Amino acid sequence: MEAAPSSSSTSTSTSTSSGGSVTFYDFLDRMRNPASLDLVRSIKSFIVSFSFYTPNPDNDGKKVQDFYLSMEAAIREHPLWAAATFEELDSAMEGLEKYVMTKLFSRTFASVPEDAKIDREVSEKICLLQTFLKPEHLDIPAVLHNEASWLLAEKELQKINTFKAPREKLLCIMNCCRVINNLLLNASMSENHALAGLDDFLPVLIYVTIKASSPCFCWYMYDESRPCPFCSKNANPPQLHSNLKFIQLYRRQAKLVSEAAYYFTNLVSAKTFIVDLNGKSLSMDEIKFEESMQAARLTQTNRATQIEASPTLQGQTDPTLTRMHDKEKDTSGGSSYPYMDAEAGELTVGDVERLLSLYKDVVTKYTSLYKVVRHLSMSKTEIPHSEGTSFLLTQPEGTNTKIDHQRGN
Amino acid sequence: MGCSSSLPDRSSGQLAGLNSENGGVSDAKNLRVKLVLLGDSGVGKSCIVLRFVRGQFDPTSKVTVGASFLSQTIALQDSTTVKFEIWDTAGQERYAALAPLYYRGAAVAVVVYDITSPDSFAKAQYWVKELQKHGSPDIVMALVGNKADLNEKREVPVQDGIDYAEKNGMFFIETSAKTADNINQLFEEIAKRLPRPASS
Repeated sequence: MEAAPSSSSTSTSTSTSSGGSVTFYDFLDRMRNPASLDLVRSIKSFIVSFSFYTPNPDNDGKKVQDFYLSMEAAIREHPLWAAATFEELDSAMEGLEKYVMTKLFSRTFASVPEDAKIDREVSEKICLLQTFLKPEHLDIPAVLHNEASWLLAEKELQKINTFKAPREKLLCIMNCCRVINNLLLNASMSENHALAGLDDFLPVLIYVTIKASSPCFCWYMYDESRPCPFCSKNANPPQLHSNLKFIQLYRRQAKLVSEAAYYFTNLVSAKTFIVDLNGKSLSMDEIKFEESMQAARLTQTNRATQIEASPTLQGQTDPTLTRMHDKEKDTSGGSSYPYMDAEAGELTVGDVERLLSLYKDVVTKYTSLYKVVRHLSMSKTEIPHSEGTSFLLTQPEGTNTKIDHQRGN
Repeated sequence: MGCSSSLPDRSSGQLAGLNSENGGVSDAKNLRVKLVLLGDSGVGKSCIVLRFVRGQFDPTSKVTVGASFLSQTIALQDSTTVKFEIWDTAGQERYAALAPLYYRGAAVAVVVYDITSPDSFAKAQYWVKELQKHGSPDIVMALVGNKADLNEKREVPVQDGIDYAEKNGMFFIETSAKTADNINQLFEEIAKRLPRPASS
């Protein structure tokens, strides 16, 4: 079971952070008690009932919220909770939410194609923006330029994908916002920078959100469920839209209030700003903005096409090779190395030169990769190797772009 | 610009446990109210709130201090309490389109301008119109002319504020976050104007 996100890192309010996994184990314990058999049955049949319907986020959200309410009433009346305090009842409900939504996660998270599409659009926009966006473009005051704080806030936000329970996802947002709040408070104390509330907070949150959502561009094919060992970014950028929607629909409504609702709204607001962002949204010349976006688009297209078209790392375009490559393009995996499916008998003397050049290319890439990986393992960086998709590919950056395209289809 | 009031006390952790979060308990005696602050950047929105939250010297008050979300409970003479949950918004022009995300569901909107800045007064009128179009129909609105301590630099006459507020059915007050003038009065007046849930 995943650990609950810690919320003790800052000094500001912790209203939504009462004990994490401890209460969850308490919940599971009580559910193992024979006296709670009726509750367990309701929960199980509710979860099973979801497999009978096709996903419809709004209906699903309502069903889950109604279920929370009816279970809350049932728990309140239940002999096992006869003398329970409000806190105990509440932690039972937190446990229930976590249990139900962990079970229903794959059925409810980004469950319709429209949501996946919006996620993709948001992350594509972010990919372009992060190539040129600077804090100055959002008028973030110099006293708030603090790479360490921003990085910490990014890390908190990135954790959102490591949790399935809505409460824990929400806590990641809260923790990210707390880091930013602390930055603002510190600046006001040490730099005598007047507290300007959301005027200062929102630009920083937007900047952090963009940085936190940039996917990894390393060309190392790693286990996609973990951050890249090279740049520690995610293969899958945080699915900003789907995460927000998931919290909105499945966090107990009584808990998405007050401060939690406020910081949640701020991330919704940051996402909305990013989606609608155009040349007029930034402190930047409009023409320069369009040029930068265009340049970023070109770089991305190049990344994608380079890998399709060029069989060698340096992109030396030997016309015969390209022809060979084109011919064999449909044989999966063989596109960069045209002789992969060739039989010895088919080879001619004329192939020797090309084979030798490919051989040298492969060896050069292999040795340099080997050095990098060795260096990394010596510095104790964990590298998931040779398990399933965790496989070193000798391909230039762009591999991820390609994957994204495939995922998009 | 800037707040001259002291900084928020970082150690005042939130005491309110789960109870206060219980489904938005608002009964006739204890109201919980979402209040949204609107106004140009630099008019002192955040300062008004900091002054309000810091100005209450009840050490047992459950104060959450963030840089942009604050809450404060006040007790009225009729022994009811009102907990204001104050939602700050970003005043810069480029974030104007995001405001509906914040004022959705707000029971109170406090629209702030700077009495030394006619531009900020025009912006305040823009927010009032926005709220009339898109806010909750029964929203309580207050128009606040801040920086009243800078009277010698005044460019928006008091009467203009009064007239505009009257025409639009709003409560009007001039405040100074710097001297704390009228800050508590602002929130007390708002509290009095809140619709009460039927005390059945």
